[in-house]
Amino acid sequence: MNKAPMEVAVKCGGMMTIALLLMCCFAIATHAAELNVPASVAAGSGLTIPSSGSGSATLYLIGPGTAIKRTVQLGQEIQLSAEELQNAGRYVIALDGNSATFFVTAGSAQSIAFLARPSRVPADTPNVVSGTAFLFDKYQNLVLAPQPVKFELTVNGQTESRSDTTKNGVAFAKLDSSRKEGPAQFVASSGAASVRRVVQVVASDPCSLRMTAARDKNGILARTDPIHDCAGNPVPDGTIVTFTSTEAKGKSTVDARIKQGVAQAELPASNNATISVASGVVVGNEIQWRGGQ
Amino acid sequence: MKLVLRIGIAVTALGIFVLVFVPGSAVLAANAASIAINTDHATPREVEETTQKALARDYASAWQTMIAALDQNRAGLLGANFIGTANEKLSTTIQEQNKAGLHQHITDQGHTVEAVFYSPEGSAIELHDTAHLQIDVMDGGKLIHTENATVHYVALLTAAENSWKIRVLEAVPGF
Repeated sequence: MNKAPMEVAVKCGGMMTIALLLMCCFAIATHAAELNVPASVAAGSGLTIPSSGSGSATLYLIGPGTAIKRTVQLGQEIQLSAEELQNAGRYVIALDGNSATFFVTAGSAQSIAFLARPSRVPADTPNVVSGTAFLFDKYQNLVLAPQPVKFELTVNGQTESRSDTTKNGVAFAKLDSSRKEGPAQFVASSGAASVRRVVQVVASDPCSLRMTAARDKNGILARTDPIHDCAGNPVPDGTIVTFTSTEAKGKSTVDARIKQGVAQAELPASNNATISVASGVVVGNEIQWRGGQ
Repeated sequence: MKLVLRIGIAVTALGIFVLVFVPGSAVLAANAASIAINTDHATPREVEETTQKALARDYASAWQTMIAALDQNRAGLLGANFIGTANEKLSTTIQEQNKAGLHQHITDQGHTVEAVFYSPEGSAIELHDTAHLQIDVMDGGKLIHTENATVHYVALLTAAENSWKIRVLEAVPGF
């Protein structure tokens, strides 16, 4: 068998492959040399790009919040201003038939978008207040590098705090409400950035609901003692309290609102009734009414 | 159990969607792009199934809107899907494109999206999107840049009246 033609073919093929690889490398090197941009730059820092050749050419820069077309002189440094590169994201730069991409990344945290929920919470309840903080730099870019965030909930000088570190630009915390009612200052802070929200802590469900009953001119007047939650906070006026009178011939129910700390209701006259009181899920005492006794 | 929602989106020339559901997933079939949204790792709150579907629908819609707006230089299209910073930055891009006579023709070749954060009160969600895009930057009718790119996006969406809207959309080097 004559191997020579095959060897020649293999050698030629190899040389052509090497030549192609060299051409590719040359092309890549030429491309990189003409648009030598870093992989990423910090937002608002600007960029200087060397250029080669002579004469003028059109520079294009397309990115978030940016679309620029301008004439530049080849062979001179091309300046991209801080203003042109303030938004984080991916940019395409094109010059004289060559193009490249690079990223602008967010700077340090300067502001916080703070979600605080809910706006009203019952007192002395665990994990009822949630705070979510998104960190942004001064150009409103989401800061993705981990940053410490502190959450503080303060009512009447009592503070509960949690610390978290942002992950993917966000940190969150769940906190207990205070035992005492009042406007709670809910603050999220990171570095010099701080945001405050107000969460109103209100009395929780009534505790030890108690009433008395007395005859009056139209029937039976049932009246509660001052109503407080288990932490001693007065339950807000307007809260519904239900009085029920049960006797042999039927049942009478009156829904009354707390007014100035107490609730009262006029029930039908009776010589033998069981009177009960409740508010929400809380049941108070029962009175066995025996003709005014 | 959380579901992996697989969505394939086909946009006809008239922008008509065809919706097909399969067990354990929902599929929007179409010819341009596909999106897979995984909510299994969203914290601290689990993503409800209805939220998952709404999110996929609104995120896909936002991409279609953005692609059309950047191609046609119509910032007015953005309002339905973008608010806040994302809307402002995209609108500025479009205004600048318009002034310079530029536009971007983006062909959406598919997304893989993972929800990484869902706020405790349910009003904000963060997505990591790996998008496969054919990007052509045009100066009038002249092509000045073309590429097939895999681009990583961080998207922050907030709940609006009856939809999710993108508040932040940032391309990042990686996750």
